[in-house]
Amino acid sequence: MSDTDTERRRKQRIAEGLEEPVREANALARKLGLDPFPVTYWIIDYDEMNELIAYGGFQERYPHWRWGMSYDRQQKQNQFLGGKAFEIVNNDNPSHAFLQESNALADQKAVITHVEAHADFFKNNQWFGLFADDPNAAAMLANHADTIESYMDDPEVDREAVEEWIDHVLCLEDCIDQHRPFSTIDGDQPHRELEDIADRLDSLGLSEEVRRQVFDEEWLESQRPEEESGSFPAEPDPDVLSFLRRHGMAYDEESGRAVEYEDWQRETLELLRREAYYFAPQKMTKVMNEGWAAYWESMMMGEEGFAEADEFIHYADHQAQVLNSPGFNPYKLGKELWEYIENATNRREVAETLLRVEGVTWRNFHDRVDLDEVRAALEPDAMLDRLGAATLDELDPDDPRVDAEALESARAGDVDVDRYPWKVLSYEGLCERHYSLVKPQHRGFLKRLTQSDLERIARYMFDDARYASVEEALANVDRCAGWNRMREIRESHNDVTFLDEFLSQEFVEQNHYFTYEFTHTTRDYRATSTAVEDVKKKLMLQFTNFGKPTVVVEDANYNNRNELLLSHQYNGVMLDQRQARQVLERVFELWGRPVNLKTIVKQLDDHDVEVARRRDREPVPEEVGVLVRYDGDSISSEELPWEAVEHLAATDVDYDTKPDEWLA
Amino acid sequence: MGLRDDLERYREVGEQRRQDLSEFIQYGDLGQSLPDEVKIPIKIVDLPAFEYDQLDKGGVGQGDGGTPQPGDPVGQPQPQPGDGDEDGDPGEEGGEHEYYEMDPEEFAQELDEELGLDLEPKGKKVVEETEGDYTDITRTGPASTLDFERLFKQGLKRKLAMEFDENYIEEALRVEGWGPDEVYAWAREQNIPVSHAWIVDADSNLPDEERERWSSVEEMTEKVERESTVQRIRRKGLKQVPFRREDERYRYPEIVEEKEKNVVVVNIRDVSGSMREKKRELVERVFTPLDWYLTGKYDNAEFVYIAHDADAWQVERDEFFGIRSGGGTRISSAYELAAELLEEYPWSEWNRYVFAAGDSENSSNDTEERVIPLMEQIPANLHAYVETQPSGNAINATHAEEVERHFDGTNDTAVAYVTGPEDVVDAIYTILSTEANDE
Repeated sequence: MSDTDTERRRKQRIAEGLEEPVREANALARKLGLDPFPVTYWIIDYDEMNELIAYGGFQERYPHWRWGMSYDRQQKQNQFLGGKAFEIVNNDNPSHAFLQESNALADQKAVITHVEAHADFFKNNQWFGLFADDPNAAAMLANHADTIESYMDDPEVDREAVEEWIDHVLCLEDCIDQHRPFSTIDGDQPHRELEDIADRLDSLGLSEEVRRQVFDEEWLESQRPEEESGSFPAEPDPDVLSFLRRHGMAYDEESGRAVEYEDWQRETLELLRREAYYFAPQKMTKVMNEGWAAYWESMMMGEEGFAEADEFIHYADHQAQVLNSPGFNPYKLGKELWEYIENATNRREVAETLLRVEGVTWRNFHDRVDLDEVRAALEPDAMLDRLGAATLDELDPDDPRVDAEALESARAGDVDVDRYPWKVLSYEGLCERHYSLVKPQHRGFLKRLTQSDLERIARYMFDDARYASVEEALANVDRCAGWNRMREIRESHNDVTFLDEFLSQEFVEQNHYFTYEFTHTTRDYRATSTAVEDVKKKLMLQFTNFGKPTVVVEDANYNNRNELLLSHQYNGVMLDQRQARQVLERVFELWGRPVNLKTIVKQLDDHDVEVARRRDREPVPEEVGVLVRYDGDSISSEELPWEAVEHLAATDVDYDTKPDEWLA
Repeated sequence: MGLRDDLERYREVGEQRRQDLSEFIQYGDLGQSLPDEVKIPIKIVDLPAFEYDQLDKGGVGQGDGGTPQPGDPVGQPQPQPGDGDEDGDPGEEGGEHEYYEMDPEEFAQELDEELGLDLEPKGKKVVEETEGDYTDITRTGPASTLDFERLFKQGLKRKLAMEFDENYIEEALRVEGWGPDEVYAWAREQNIPVSHAWIVDADSNLPDEERERWSSVEEMTEKVERESTVQRIRRKGLKQVPFRREDERYRYPEIVEEKEKNVVVVNIRDVSGSMREKKRELVERVFTPLDWYLTGKYDNAEFVYIAHDADAWQVERDEFFGIRSGGGTRISSAYELAAELLEEYPWSEWNRYVFAAGDSENSSNDTEERVIPLMEQIPANLHAYVETQPSGNAINATHAEEVERHFDGTNDTAVAYVTGPEDVVDAIYTILSTEANDE
């Protein structure tokens, strides 16, 4: 990004104005228990922001038309929406975040608080650790861009061919094994296992003679996986890209034969695969990560007054725009679920504490304890609400809720307590100040505590007569339980496990979630269920494996003819057939020989549909195994006997949420 | 390289990847287009991936203030925010369409290329006389259009014609015994353009002692070399060119007759009870591209829409494909109306196309006794009948066959059969190539 001097000076001025918000946002985030990567902020103009968005948040990407496509779309969107505040932050250490110079100060602050939370998530979520502990993505991507550009500039290589090759690979970019750490496939060693064995032999310290006699080259070679035996790979391989990288060939149009990859082809495949692994954690934690950032942004901006009074309206308006778009919004789901986890953890902490009161059991809980009174008793200390320069004298440096050091500087006049009251509080103090169960928007949450909840909690409790009275117990409620738990969860979960574990019927009802299906009777989409199991199933479908069906390499020597067999691990929802065929045509280019896909399709015959419609019922489709084959020239498709696909069919989960009584 | 380059590549790729024209005509959504702007969908997201079947997948929604109950309609699933921004994955939203817009000229050109057509529209009606090059000339006109080159040439010619070698004539006067009369007679013989008066004048100035220099004219011509006009002009220079008014010519622009390529297209559709939805759609798929094509080919295209059952009536385009009526079918009613309406578009000035479509059902003997004679009577570049029968043939549906049999081998009548969208392009080709063959 080359700037003129005036531009640079202008940006400099804006940057200076943002220095304090950046510094204080980071301080506040840390006070709240977050632990972000350091963040480097860049001031950029509107055009630069659009370019960054098109490039997926980075300044340099390999040449490809799809960046142009998203740039084009970005510009069109802006025409309708007016350039709104965007936050872009990269998962790097240090993270890089970008602020658009024309945004209002309130927007900048919102972006900064949001970014600090993302940087915390990047640093602490284990799925981000899978790619690298100290990623430097910007450099990696710029490097990839240079490499691919050099292929395109190479007079020996046709630019269009490079572009097409990229297209082929991108069609499979989600066919990786995102649950395993990324490892590079080295240069020309297709058989890593072999290397390993040789290495291990070396490490045994055998004499050269023993090696030569017993573990000679021939022996080593015999350890090579049997490619001819018909079962290669031994286990279905979900990392289709890696498999192709190791065993794929290109199809040579002229000779009509499969040929080894050119160097540029192999290298391009490998670096696109690397990018797919780099972006995978972000795709796998979209709900959590965005929800996390939205949660802490609103905590800092709204509740901790990071937006000043006159900025707050502007901010609230922006926040509403982001989160209140119609229909299903994964960011909103994330934020709501984090809030639910916070409340549920805090409620559980209250319940556990109260069950430890002598004489209180899960059976008599509701007779002995008035939850409205409990709620009133849990209101934060009024002193925490009145924080300001004028009330500093009321604070006791020995109170664990007070940051003694900060209090001392504040008393010396070094801290602007009216502007940043949180500075004189400790983490504990902030927990109490923002205790969730007493907030007006969560009124009623505590009271929904049911007897069966209590029974479940009590089941694993010992030490159940620790407190003499409810009052004594309440004084010992840990108000930090919610936040502590949230941080634990953000370390180990991804969207799938997050939703699986924390979605509850209470949550689904309170937030009005429901499932829908296409019904043949009405030829439109109908709501089908409001049960948590159903909502969860559909969400699993949407977030497991990037929301895509799982397709694995089943056999690389199919029919003993070196044909590739991919298998669709059918979970009850069929493949988009048209796209599957198109992908198959591209896989051919990466395998160089005929390619096959086994899948299961649902067949509905028109007659059954008609009959079912007349009876106002949903027709039940028949599941049929299908083999689609592409030989480089034409697509063919044949039905398979059920035995041939039985191993692919899932029996445990039924993703169809239509009520049984609808079915014909 | 860089983003500008990517954007340019996207535009190129987008153009390549718009729906193929044939596919668009057969299966595409024609309804997005206007008569003068053809909109062909481009799939924005064109890299395929292994995806779930959209209808089979279902999903999760969130109610606004309440939860819809099972069975409530919930509308189309909305694309989700965040499905594609900032995580480096702009290609995630599925099935979005943008439109590639082409005007009818481009459409016609593309269709020509795709189908190998070669229809040259004929210019007919004289719409204006425009001024061509200034190649005509008159004797009067504004000074600026005076053809000076011509004037000069004429003057030069005149001068050459009038000039003679004065010394040579004077020498002839010095021949012994010759006077002006003899010299004049001699000069005439020699085709020297000299007047008698000039010789008399020269003679009177001649000193007496020189009058007998030559004994005879033969001696004189032998000794004195006659200088040609060109030599003399070279020697003395072109002192004066005699411009004459009668040599003046003024350039004048040529009158060119501009003939406009006019076309009138009569679209006739059977709207009787037997024409069900599928048949109607097929008619639209054939007629609409034909309309675009002809609009693109001609300077000026007008359309007449006629709907008929047992009677015919004229309708507007927007109603044309939707109308349904009850009655029977008498195809000749439409041709009678067409003949009447075409009177406004005289054959001498208009190219005419008469396209009819239906399911080939007609009242008995109407085809042979009325329709075929009418088709012969209405002069047109092309008559066409498009039979739309999604489910093969009905027993009485013989109109198309009768027409085909009668006009077989002629090149101004085409018959096409369409049983499904896959036949549409062939039908269009049959129709348009029939006239093209005529050339």
